[in-house]
Amino acid sequence: MASFSQLARQLGCSRPLLKPQPLIQSQISSRSITSAYSPKPEHAPFPTKIPEQFLSQIPDRFKPRIQKRMKIYPPPPSARAACKDPITTVKESQLAVLDPTGERGTLFDYRRNPRSVRVGDILRVVFKNGDPFSGVCLSIKLCGIDTSFLLRNELTRVGVEMMVKVYSPNVQSVEIVQRTQKRKRRARLYYMRKPKHDMRSVENVVSNYLRQQSALTGQRPSSGKKR
Amino acid sequence: MIQLKSMLNCIDNSGAAVVECVQVLKKKRPATVGDRIVIVVQKQRSFGPDSANNSGIANKVRRGDIRHAVVVRVKKEMQRADGSLVKFDDNACVLINKSGDPIGTRMNGVVATELRARQWSKILSLAPMHV
Repeated sequence: MASFSQLARQLGCSRPLLKPQPLIQSQISSRSITSAYSPKPEHAPFPTKIPEQFLSQIPDRFKPRIQKRMKIYPPPPSARAACKDPITTVKESQLAVLDPTGERGTLFDYRRNPRSVRVGDILRVVFKNGDPFSGVCLSIKLCGIDTSFLLRNELTRVGVEMMVKVYSPNVQSVEIVQRTQKRKRRARLYYMRKPKHDMRSVENVVSNYLRQQSALTGQRPSSGKKR
Repeated sequence: MIQLKSMLNCIDNSGAAVVECVQVLKKKRPATVGDRIVIVVQKQRSFGPDSANNSGIANKVRRGDIRHAVVVRVKKEMQRADGSLVKFDDNACVLINKSGDPIGTRMNGVVATELRARQWSKILSLAPMHV
């Protein structure tokens, strides 16, 4: 039984071939017959001047299509055209606020100003809150508005370093206490952190300078804490 | 950058000279100025051979004691609000008790002003100088 049913199933695919096909003849004959050409009926034009209350009742697909125009915007103006060199502009605008006289800038611009602060000089900085800090200048970093200098001193036998921003509004004054005797051959005197080259405390140099200053101006030495 | 095993100088007269950090409190990163740490006293200050007789300047802590401390100086540079950086040549701390009062009565050495922002004014007032 099983073998018979399997055979029948395999033969099943050939069943359409065995079927009589009387339709084929009629199809061929129908194709050969020409018929009158009837054009596709055109849509009647949508009536104009329909009152508003009727127009709202007509479904959307029958309404005349109003083609929406995509709005095309002009490209935004180039930022490059507005400002050729934004970094310099910002820098200058900041400098105009923070250092209007340009005095502070030239004091540290050792590339152009021969009378500027050099590394190895002893500087004294007084901050806005009255705290002074003095020390040997180990390095000057010239980088626009971020220009800073590094001071090193020894307070209570502990080395202290402070990197101060030149244009910081917290800095009230910067004065040169003592210039370096010999021009330093390096731009950054980081070797002065080593015990062999360390200048140790510069307090006596600074206090001498302050005493001289007060003698010259005829004033009492400033009441700020000695550093 | 004070972390586990960091050795610090103790700059008060509590009797400790060199301490080792064993824990940074309330922080998952290295401690800096103003942070509270747990320390072990590794070296104690000797006030001469006759210090044992004189109870007035006896060490308040001994070697091996576990105490709390506040970091007052760090080698790692600290940035201030105006962009300036401050760094010291050593790491130093001051011992405190559990309630936050300093154990020592005097301090020798400069400390960082950042302590004021962290409410350690008592330590700041003991210090001879601050930067």
